[in-house]
Amino acid sequence: MIALIGLVAGVVLGFVLEPTVPLWLQPYLPIAIVAALDAMFGGVRAKLDGIFDDKVFVVSFLSNAVISAMIVFLGDQLGVGSQLSTGVVVVLGIRIFSNAAAIRRKLLGA
Amino acid sequence: MRMSEERWGRPDASMSLLADLFAGRVADPGYAEAAARREPGASPRPGRAGVFLALLVVGLLLVVAGAQVRRSEPALQRQRERLIDDIRARTAETDGLQRRLDGLRGQTERLRAAALARSDEGRRVRDALNRAGAAAAAQAVDGSALQVTIDDDPGGSVAGRIYDQDLQLLVNGLWAAGARAIGVNGQRLTATTAIRTAGAAILVDYRPLTPPYVVTALGDPGSLGSGLTGSAAGDRFRMLHDRYHTRFDVHQEGEARLPAAEALRLRYASPLGEP
Repeated sequence: MIALIGLVAGVVLGFVLEPTVPLWLQPYLPIAIVAALDAMFGGVRAKLDGIFDDKVFVVSFLSNAVISAMIVFLGDQLGVGSQLSTGVVVVLGIRIFSNAAAIRRKLLGA
Repeated sequence: MRMSEERWGRPDASMSLLADLFAGRVADPGYAEAAARREPGASPRPGRAGVFLALLVVGLLLVVAGAQVRRSEPALQRQRERLIDDIRARTAETDGLQRRLDGLRGQTERLRAAALARSDEGRRVRDALNRAGAAAAAQAVDGSALQVTIDDDPGGSVAGRIYDQDLQLLVNGLWAAGARAIGVNGQRLTATTAIRTAGAAILVDYRPLTPPYVVTALGDPGSLGSGLTGSAAGDRFRMLHDRYHTRFDVHQEGEARLPAAEALRLRYASPLGEP
């Protein structure tokens, strides 16, 4: 419940404040979002499995977002930034899909 | 601790993404470990401020990214429109310059003709100049002509395509038959004009042509026609028409006009004062 309130509050805050993203941060924003989504789905699945742990969630959220942004930053420095972003999106996308499938199995029983 | 040993015990533990995927175990093992660390039977700790803050950040990120994409769309659109406007302005500028060039060229032509008409010597030079100009395709010419229209097989077969070599053969056949001047799709050929192919298009003087290809040869239509019929080019195009259904129409034109070739480049002569 508190998680849902947080999500809604974040969305409202974003609409109210309308912060502008500095140019140098823009390439990493979508990657950070994919990483955050991955952590979120992992958390929901753990919640449904009854093993949710807030420390694990926060740590995995922060480390996922920071590490994926760092990988892409490193790739940009090496000239393979777009390929590495694709790699990050593929790996995290696989996890998001399998977590979403687990959630679906739990909730709908199918 | 026991669990983490298990996890890292495998030699391929660091590359287990696909294996985990097939086994359906992609969930973060951190949760399972944390659950195992707790005493059995104890309920998980309830969500706290950390979860709230993390999800606050997730929501914020989503909105910011969405707003960012929507904001940059009109900017891209404006940029594209500016570029298109730029292209149009430059094209209009080029057209204006071309018209001015044509006008000045015509004026020079008239002044030269007037200057040369003053003496017998001048008139002789003018006739020689006219002959040389016609041969170099530097002047527009008109007269009776033979018009040959060729095109790909309308059925679209690959074998029935017209290639640059076919066009070269036809043009050479018409020169051999005694044509005074030749144009392809209204573009005048000089002695050095290249007929080439690039991708699927035939280029004449590095400009792409669109089929059908209309080759206009100025000269006596009768002798041009008989010369073409008896030449290798005529035989080849009749054969191509019979076997691959390419179009090959020859008809005589009473009055045809060909423009001067564009951009006559000087090769050996240079204006005074320039090396």
